[in-house]
Amino acid sequence: MRNDKHTQPRLTLCRGDILAAALIFLAAVALLVYFGTGARGNAATVQVWQDGTLQGEYPLAVDREFVVAGRYHNTVQIQNGRVCILDADCPGQDCVKSGWHKDTGRSIVCLPNRLELRLVGGAAEPEIDGVTG
Amino acid sequence: MDKTRRLARGALLTALALGLSYMERFIPLQLLIPLPGIKLGLANVVTLFAVYFLGSRAALQILCVRCLLGSLFGGGVTAFFFSITGGLLALAAMVLARRLPFLSIYGVSVCGAAAHHVGQILVAVALLRSGYVFAYLPFLLLVAIATGFLTGAVSAACFRAMIAADLPFTSNMEATYVGKIH
Repeated sequence: MRNDKHTQPRLTLCRGDILAAALIFLAAVALLVYFGTGARGNAATVQVWQDGTLQGEYPLAVDREFVVAGRYHNTVQIQNGRVCILDADCPGQDCVKSGWHKDTGRSIVCLPNRLELRLVGGAAEPEIDGVTG
Repeated sequence: MDKTRRLARGALLTALALGLSYMERFIPLQLLIPLPGIKLGLANVVTLFAVYFLGSRAALQILCVRCLLGSLFGGGVTAFFFSITGGLLALAAMVLARRLPFLSIYGVSVCGAAAHHVGQILVAVALLRSGYVFAYLPFLLLVAIATGFLTGAVSAACFRAMIAADLPFTSNMEATYVGKIH
């Protein structure tokens, strides 16, 4: 492979790099469109999935707090139609940091505990977030 | 190059990669982009170096030992699966991208970063047994473009300095480099 032009290291930014980045960008946008973005309806229910099985479903309309145990423990709080993981003893704390969620289709994940809180339902209705009078 | 030298070089690079990935834990990137699984990927500079100057076999060896030791020092089994899957996919992508004549080290690095995140998502999907996690992928890909360019820039600067200093491995390596820098 001596003197093969292609084996020399190219260390300066070139057009091909921009093209590669653009392709990845397009792939990301396509995925975003596929998974749905923008305004979503408020979810009606939160599903608790652990290790790929549905452990329970809770309406977001009822405030409550519960603990999901497994390899670790996650304290889940439902309040004012939103849900968050209030506290956890997992190493990363990514689930706690992800904060409050209320949109349908979103999920809160705690990988160490193999936990996924999936927000579902309520998307069918047109959004009425401002009825006054 | 004899066996002992190769072993010493591999060990040195593995240590460097481990040091870099430990160091970058102190960079609060999560404050800027609040997504789980986001990191700069500075250890990728070492993988890039191996891919460019030592060949894909040495790169694979360094990667495997790095992931094994990294999860022994902290992280555990879950972290091991994440880093090895992400790392292997990134390495494969970079070895392939390296062969494309129209990509510089920046493009190769971006491809690696994107592949790394695809690997992470695949592990997350396998662990949770839920396809929902795929919804994170587009965000991770967007971040990968930025972090890929950044580690590409760091690598380009390092390699330039190494070639300019005429370090031994830049002139008589087994795998690759002949000629001038572009």
